[in-house]
Amino acid sequence: MTAVAAHAGGGLADHIHPEPQGFIRKYVFSIDHKIIGIQYMITAFLFMILGGMLAELIRVQLMKASGGLMTPETYNEVYSVHGSTMVWLVIIPLLTGGFGNLIFPVQIGARDVAFPWLNMLSFWLFPPAGLMLYASFLMGAPTAGWTEYPPMSLNAYGAHDGTSMWAAAIFLIGVSSTMTGINFLVTILKMRAPGMTFTRMPLFVWGQFVTAPLLMIATTALGAALAALFVQRQFGVAFFDPTRGGSPLLWQHMFWFYSHPAVYIMILPAFGMISEILPTFSRKPIFGYKMIAFSSCAIAILGFMVWAHHMFTSGLAPALQLPFMVLTMLIAIPTGVKIFSWVTTLWGGVIHMTTAMLFAIGFLATFTLGGITGVFLAAVPFDLHAHGTYFIVAHLHYVLVGGSLMGILAGLFYWYPKMSGRLMNEKLGKWAFWLFFIGFNGTFLPMHWLGMWGQPRRVAVYDPQFQAWNQVASWFSFVMTAALILVLFNALWSMRNGKRSGPNPWNARTLEWQIPSPMPYYNFKHVPSVFAAPYDFAEPLPYRGLEEELT
Amino acid sequence: MPENRDPVVHLDRQFWIVTAVLGVLALISIFWWVWAPITSIMPEAVDKAQQIDALFRFLAASGTALFIFICGYILYFSLAFRRHAGTPENAVGIQIHDNNKLEFWWTLAPTVFVVIMAIFSLRIWYGIEVAPSNTLVVEAIGHQWYYTFRYPNVNGEVKEMHLPLGQAVTLHVTSSDVIHSFWIPAMRLKADMVPGLINTFEFTPTRQGRYEIICTEFCGLNHGLMHSGTTVNPAYVYIDPPARYASWYARTEREQIHASNAIEAASTSELKLNGGEPRDGAKLFAAKCSACHAAGPFDQKIVGPGLRGVLDDPAHPNLVDGDKATPENVAKILQNGFKGSMGQMPNQAANGLSNKDIVNLVAYLKTLK
Amino acid sequence: MAVASVTHGAYAGVMSEEPDQLYVETRELRIQGFLLFMVSDLVLFSSFIFAYLYLRNSGQGWPAGGPKLDIALAAVNSIVLFGSGATMHFALENWKHRNFTKFANWIVMTIILGAGFLSGQVLEYIHIGARWSSGIFGASFYTLTGMHGLHVFAGIIYLTVLLLQAAQGKYTFTKYTGLTLGTLYWHFVDVIWVVLFSIFYLL
Repeated sequence: MTAVAAHAGGGLADHIHPEPQGFIRKYVFSIDHKIIGIQYMITAFLFMILGGMLAELIRVQLMKASGGLMTPETYNEVYSVHGSTMVWLVIIPLLTGGFGNLIFPVQIGARDVAFPWLNMLSFWLFPPAGLMLYASFLMGAPTAGWTEYPPMSLNAYGAHDGTSMWAAAIFLIGVSSTMTGINFLVTILKMRAPGMTFTRMPLFVWGQFVTAPLLMIATTALGAALAALFVQRQFGVAFFDPTRGGSPLLWQHMFWFYSHPAVYIMILPAFGMISEILPTFSRKPIFGYKMIAFSSCAIAILGFMVWAHHMFTSGLAPALQLPFMVLTMLIAIPTGVKIFSWVTTLWGGVIHMTTAMLFAIGFLATFTLGGITGVFLAAVPFDLHAHGTYFIVAHLHYVLVGGSLMGILAGLFYWYPKMSGRLMNEKLGKWAFWLFFIGFNGTFLPMHWLGMWGQPRRVAVYDPQFQAWNQVASWFSFVMTAALILVLFNALWSMRNGKRSGPNPWNARTLEWQIPSPMPYYNFKHVPSVFAAPYDFAEPLPYRGLEEELT
Repeated sequence: MPENRDPVVHLDRQFWIVTAVLGVLALISIFWWVWAPITSIMPEAVDKAQQIDALFRFLAASGTALFIFICGYILYFSLAFRRHAGTPENAVGIQIHDNNKLEFWWTLAPTVFVVIMAIFSLRIWYGIEVAPSNTLVVEAIGHQWYYTFRYPNVNGEVKEMHLPLGQAVTLHVTSSDVIHSFWIPAMRLKADMVPGLINTFEFTPTRQGRYEIICTEFCGLNHGLMHSGTTVNPAYVYIDPPARYASWYARTEREQIHASNAIEAASTSELKLNGGEPRDGAKLFAAKCSACHAAGPFDQKIVGPGLRGVLDDPAHPNLVDGDKATPENVAKILQNGFKGSMGQMPNQAANGLSNKDIVNLVAYLKTLK
Repeated sequence: MAVASVTHGAYAGVMSEEPDQLYVETRELRIQGFLLFMVSDLVLFSSFIFAYLYLRNSGQGWPAGGPKLDIALAAVNSIVLFGSGATMHFALENWKHRNFTKFANWIVMTIILGAGFLSGQVLEYIHIGARWSSGIFGASFYTLTGMHGLHVFAGIIYLTVLLLQAAQGKYTFTKYTGLTLGTLYWHFVDVIWVVLFSIFYLL
């Protein structure tokens, strides 16, 4: 636990740590939350390229019912690492470490997070962990999916040595996430600018605020599960091996106690982003601010009580299935409220159809579908049919790609100026959106009926009667990949060639837009005071003390 | 926060026309789902399947209707309120923050929906979990990568599953190695097969025919082959009229007794253990034994011990069953299997080894020094 | 850490300056962060406690007639550990009352008691004689008590470092956040032991 180095007098709000000099201190081992945020993003996008390549290997393999590109063994490695990469090395780091670090401290009027050194440490655990995960290919990568259910993840049953490496890598990521969670939570609780009450916080901050405890609590539980799997594998400690008295179901409990909240770690910050982008480009206050904020809290709390809905077919005691089913269904209520509020925000607006807005609206449509199928799956009798099939693959990609990733892309187009001082190219961006939207739906929509008809997930070969629809999915996945390449190209190209944005190209009202782009080292020359929520587009800005920021 | 008075909202005629159109579309989709030809793609083979399909129709109909409304409004608002070329740069939308009445109704609506869905699901769930009396108890066992079944009064495990039409069935599922899953799409039912645990469900077959069994829990290299499509061990359940079932049952009962007698006879009769072909044995070892046994030293355990020097290891003169480590006693274990604390060594009925295979394997094991 | 300008001397902590605004706010942040760290650490223990209860109730191979635990030894050991909690409390109180010598004595006492607890645990491990890899009892008992033992061990090192830092004048009698955190940590380890003792020896 470290705190800021002492330099100037006065309280923390006036406290400025000196700007470091030299490339290494400034850009590599930086303690500036903005640089760390960008570091997270660059690293995560690099891993997204790797994970995306694995995804395309999967889709090429499934072009033919008999497979043919890879042996089943390689195929199992590929989809396991694909899933682990996308969850732990792409979506979570982008939403928390990346956009979280970059934006929310500015939005609450702080000059940095509470523990900048800890923040740097969090980041620097992340690339090594990612490399460890990929290094597991050298010793035989994990094969039992991102969930690594024992006994399949034990060598006696055909797992590879790299599974231990996988556990260690994800454990490291978990430590990093836990520290990020503690850091963010303390920052939001203690370092808000004067007048920034909870009901005046931008909704992206709310997203981070409810995500932080999930990171802190759930990720530690995952750490315990991974440690247990590691010692089971390396030292024969009988936690999960059924032949030694252990219980394979214990892993499922421990794993899902983390991984269901993790689903909300991956979506709540995206909810926050959407809640910033929709009002900004509709020139309207967000509809039902309090309901959106409180429903996030409700989702986070309920999220801890529903993990066993992943285990309806596993042999859960019937008396336990009922409460888990009902609690899971309850989540539909706050989620529904959010969606209705967002749609209503569009009504009566003056909608600027920028790329960021297109992605945000695309998010609404696809996430709604993912949410609806999620409610279906909460019903035990329905789940008994759909569990473990491509229906699940479709559902989870609709919420993680159609939800989280769409939110991330919207956020990238929206906040890019705050990183670079330039805008991303809108024309390329709109092309990318439409290709992405069409490619995404074409890839994952058919998987709904493939699953219902009987295609199990995690198969290297499948029943030939499903081949046609699998080919459709594969062809559309190439379109989606092209769109993502276009986005990354756009981001690289715009760094030098994008139009200069000025401090506030979108006419947005949260604090990060009231300071120059890219944001200066101290964020604010004077810490502002706040006297209203940020979304009243017809009113003057609700801040005092910002007069000198742009001079 | 300063008092922002929300303006009075007027919904124009256009809005109501769009709403009406969406309503019609939603109704059409509801009707479509109510009469959707689900059974022409997937027959309903058991009583529970009809109930689950009813739930499915309800979910799909209400889900689609909801989706049509939400996406319809998104599309309509995006187009109708799009900023036009002439709109001044600083134009703002309608400054409205809240509407308590609206928010009350749209919180209540999903709540009601969830309550209906929960009650609907509970009733079906109750039917799946609670057993009627006088059921036929069948046990299904998952293996890497095939299924076997046990019937009351039938020796050993059989490779086909037959069920009599109209007879209530209690199905216990478990596994001999890793977690598998037992899913019959035509029944809409599934349970994981977990080693060391027995999962149970109840149903009554209502439609004659042959239906596919599919494994949906990742279970290793050939997970994708664990269904009917494979030529190795196609997995089906046969729902037969009672008479045909009875004759199948009687025949199976006889055959299984015969098979176990044959194994008994083989094990008592001396196998000619000389003249085995070690090279064939090596292939068999890689294919059938190496999942559990290494060819390395004793301490190199996978499930069972490493087998190098099994026939000539002063530190371990006895086999797991306590007999002396001779080729004859190794062959006996290969025939009869052994259930010990570490796990189960399958017997000849389960491991599918012929007597000649056993001779070859023993010849190979002799070469491991 | 608002480092005082004092850098040398046997113990220069006597030189007290009035806490400024920055110190007060930083202290608050650090204590809050530390409390949250303890919450997540608690989750780690809770997960393994859940695993233990789960395995004990549904796994196979729990030792017949219960494991061979020495409840008398464990009780004595518990008293030693709780005693160390009390001595740690006295140490911090003496610091607040500006008495370095007594502070140092009490903290040394704490370290000795902590080491005594660890030795007691080693005796208990020898007495039980099971192995980590022998069945579900070994898995849950050694993992949980081992994790706790590591926490105690880390705590001993932590307190030693704090003592040395205090002797070098890193803390003043008005600015001593590090010592507060050390005390919190030590009490946390005590509380965890109460839970572990109850579930293994009393349940």
